[in-house]
Amino acid sequence: MLSLVIRGFMQRKLRVALTAIAIALGVALMAGTYILTDTINKSFAGIFSVANKGHDVVITPTEALGRNTRSQTSPITEQMLAQVRATPGVAEAAGSIFTPGTFLDVHGKRLTNGGAPAFIASETPKRFESFKPVQGRFPLTAAEVAIDEQTAKRHNLKLGQQMIVAGSAPAKSYTIVGITRFGGGESFGGAGAAILTPAEAQRVVGLPGHFDQIDVAATPGVTANDLRNRIRLILPATVEVRTGAQQAAKDTSDLEHNLGFLRTFLLVFAYVSLVVGAFIIFNTFSITVAQRTREFGLLRTLGGSRGQILQSVVYEGLMLGVAGAVLGLLGGLVLAPALNELFKAFGAELPHSGTVVESRTIIVSLAVGIVVTLFAGLPAALRATRVPPLAAMREGVEIPPAVRTRRAIVIRAAIGIAVLLVLRLALGGGVGLTALAIILAVRIVVVARRVRRGTRPRRYRVVPALARVLGLLVSWRGVTGQLARENSIRQPGRTMITAAALTVGIALVAFVAVLADGTKATIDRAVSRSFAGNLIVENSQSGNNEQGIPALVAPALRRVPGVKGVTPIAFTQGRVRGTSNNVTITAIDPRSFEQVYRVEWKKGSNATLLGLDSSGTVLTKAYAESKHLEVGRSISVLTPTDKHVSLTVLGIASDNARLLGDLTIGLPLAREAFGQRDDALAFVSYAPGASNAQVQPAVNRLLAANFPQTRSRTAAQFKQDQSNQINTLLALIYVLLALSVIVSLFGIVNTLILSIYERTRELGMLRAIGTSRRQIRQMIRYESLITALIGGVFGLVIGVVGALLVTSLALSESGFVQSIPVGTLVILLVVAAVAGLLAAQLPARRAARLDMLRALASE
Amino acid sequence: MSGAAAQSGSEKLVEARDVSRRFGEGEAAVDALADVTVAFPSGRFAAIMGPSGSGKSTLMHILAGLDRPTAGAVLVGGVEITALGDRELTQLRRDRIGFIFQTFNLLPVLNAQENILLPLSIAGRKPDREWFDRLIDTVGIRDRLTHRPAELSGGQQQRVAVARALISRPAVVFADEPSGNLDSKASNDVLELLRNAVDDFGQTVVMVTHDAHAASFADRLLVLADGRIVHDGDSVTSGEALDLMKSVG
Repeated sequence: MLSLVIRGFMQRKLRVALTAIAIALGVALMAGTYILTDTINKSFAGIFSVANKGHDVVITPTEALGRNTRSQTSPITEQMLAQVRATPGVAEAAGSIFTPGTFLDVHGKRLTNGGAPAFIASETPKRFESFKPVQGRFPLTAAEVAIDEQTAKRHNLKLGQQMIVAGSAPAKSYTIVGITRFGGGESFGGAGAAILTPAEAQRVVGLPGHFDQIDVAATPGVTANDLRNRIRLILPATVEVRTGAQQAAKDTSDLEHNLGFLRTFLLVFAYVSLVVGAFIIFNTFSITVAQRTREFGLLRTLGGSRGQILQSVVYEGLMLGVAGAVLGLLGGLVLAPALNELFKAFGAELPHSGTVVESRTIIVSLAVGIVVTLFAGLPAALRATRVPPLAAMREGVEIPPAVRTRRAIVIRAAIGIAVLLVLRLALGGGVGLTALAIILAVRIVVVARRVRRGTRPRRYRVVPALARVLGLLVSWRGVTGQLARENSIRQPGRTMITAAALTVGIALVAFVAVLADGTKATIDRAVSRSFAGNLIVENSQSGNNEQGIPALVAPALRRVPGVKGVTPIAFTQGRVRGTSNNVTITAIDPRSFEQVYRVEWKKGSNATLLGLDSSGTVLTKAYAESKHLEVGRSISVLTPTDKHVSLTVLGIASDNARLLGDLTIGLPLAREAFGQRDDALAFVSYAPGASNAQVQPAVNRLLAANFPQTRSRTAAQFKQDQSNQINTLLALIYVLLALSVIVSLFGIVNTLILSIYERTRELGMLRAIGTSRRQIRQMIRYESLITALIGGVFGLVIGVVGALLVTSLALSESGFVQSIPVGTLVILLVVAAVAGLLAAQLPARRAARLDMLRALASE
Repeated sequence: MSGAAAQSGSEKLVEARDVSRRFGEGEAAVDALADVTVAFPSGRFAAIMGPSGSGKSTLMHILAGLDRPTAGAVLVGGVEITALGDRELTQLRRDRIGFIFQTFNLLPVLNAQENILLPLSIAGRKPDREWFDRLIDTVGIRDRLTHRPAELSGGQQQRVAVARALISRPAVVFADEPSGNLDSKASNDVLELLRNAVDDFGQTVVMVTHDAHAASFADRLLVLADGRIVHDGDSVTSGEALDLMKSVG
């Protein structure tokens, strides 16, 4: 039997190849994701081990709120450094600065590093220093800087030139005296680093007397562990004390955590492609089993058992799965660097040296590829076992349907419910799951009623109807168009599954497009409604809330002529006692906020804001409701600096613009108790009579001179920025979803080739009675076009309805504005049509090439 | 003249008792077979003739266990096969029944030798080398063993199919219009082969045909019309068979 399967394989190379590719693309994305993230991980692990080399003990701020929640104000002080130095067993200890900053050339143009972050660093003693000068030296005065080699190369910086470094202090120009190289390799994970003298670095990042980190070396004979324990005893809980090895492990684990998001993001698209691939395999197997009815019948008359038939088809699936998975794994090797390029193109460069293929990558990719193929082929294999031996004798013997006994239905229902329960445990509810449960319940009832009445389902009314309507598009082309239309209706089930593969991709694109359009509209409306000022000042690397703008910006802006009011806004986080998740916190200036922002009060009024000066807080309606909090209640909040503050709820507000976090507090409290030094934004309002044409240029001049990392935006510009950001993300998602659309194209090609093979005789007849090759090609192309458009229309409907449903069920509370991007959807339909025509190229040529006489003679 | 065609002295290898077969339901129902009782002793070559729609193919399908009668019983080697499940029927086809089809039905991906041995590989048995040699010499395709069906003429393909039917030494070979797709020369060769199988190997053969010439190779001729046996007698010449057919057609 196995040899029979292998022979069959060799005979149907094209089909096998097309089907294998269907599964291989999904596996490739999966393998590529693992390879890329593993490679990034390993590159960083190398960087971290170099960065922590020579460090016996490392002291860093405690992350009171969990990973990535460092306060902006480091608790590490000069005094702590003195204490450490005085500890027996310490050979050397040094404090250092390593904080994100902005580099610019003398004209104020950003020296970007392809989206990678840039850091302001301080020189450390030689034994701790990870950078070494390849040209020049480290800075000696407060007017000198050493820049990393990669940034220097990229922007052609030379020793002796000037460059600007901007942090929390007003920007200042420095003379480049050194070009440095990171010890581990040519770059510090793609990031830029400007090294200043320690005192200057502290001043620039706004941390005089503080350090981001203290590095400690032990005297000979003292182990790192012993020294760590000694230092731990003398320092407060606001700092962590780790050995160098522990710190490297912690850095690596942080990174892995952050990359986890990227991995999951990419894997989602891999799974989408695999689902589409499964559709295609299901369809291909169903068609080939139907075509081989006679062969299975023959095997049965010659004494083949049902088990043997099942085996032969399952073997075929197994071989196909192995071929597809191996192909996919190899594809992953190619795709991993391509994915990296993709992220680079979207402004996120990540270091990757070498290619890391973990055994996990191989095992998971192969297993997923094979299992998906096997399961997708199983229904067809089971169907093949029902081919009666009589099929060997006669043409057109139908495969009897599976017996739908009461027991079979109970078993199926049980499996369905079990799957739902597992999903429920794994995902924890959600709208989609509820919908799934309802669909399942309806299905069970329908099938049960059908069995009781002994009727068979009436199937496929939508597909033929849709095909007839879409067929109008081509039927004006005469008989070829009409034949194409009829052919697409002939086997509605087959057309539907072929189209369904395309539907998945199109539906997801439509879903995302509607969601994105709604998000844009929501932001637009929220900004128009809530923002009452004239300008928004933000970090010019748009979306960079992490760096924000120096706190000095707001007071400086107040002195610009024509400016009436400036209100700074900062973001931080905290954890309310008795809860396990962090809350987002917005800090505002209680006195000036109402001048530029319209708060939609549920409880309270603008006067309430004045209470934020001390220990008051305003909650969003959503948060207050979810935690059953009322005005007057008191809550205790843990801050990033590991302090507990007690806040009284003074008011509750709605905010569709999402400027206000779960909690809103006063800026003074944020600075003092949360360690928040920088602001995220500053809202500017003009004095009566002042025109934007005068004031904005003045504001821009001030910003360019002192805070070149910031920029001012009018409300219209701000909306445009937001919309651009969404478009960028959207483009990335489209690129990744395109893979699943490509997979579905292979499905259309496959189905067409198989249908043509089936209709060899008919095509021969058409040629015999005078149809030209051109007309044959046209007919096949139209059929493909109709199939693709059916998939496209279904996809659009499912995507749009799904998105509207989700937004009205889940987001209606938050004031989400639904909006349908008609233009995008039309383009999507055109893409589906073009895809269909493209897919038909090869099959159409094959059909036209058929030798007329042989086609007629074929059985 | 329905009823048993008693062939005393021989065991009844294949036997149908009051077999009826109805297709469809209600008003559209068609009785393909009506109370047919017939027995086939071993070592004989029987031909079943009849016009289109007479039920001859249905009778063969039912005798071979490919189809089930609406009423009545079929026995093969004394075992009632109408009561058997799929597993036992599969076993029966493996061990006791051989098939020859009008359209040859060779697997295009296998060569001639592999096609001949297919029933044995399905059953997981080792071929009897001597028997295989004798068969391929008998059917005369020794020099074509490595050829694929597409590289063989129709006559050669059918001879491969005959060898395939005989390779497992079945108790009975059912042949469905074995000469229907062949020219007269190839047709004679194949029918001669079947005749020899009966004479030399003692093979039992039941053949369905509408060709009077083909029927003249058999020992016994049954004629069906409208689902009933209307003639059951010894072999006749093709001319007499033609007359018989005209009388019922």
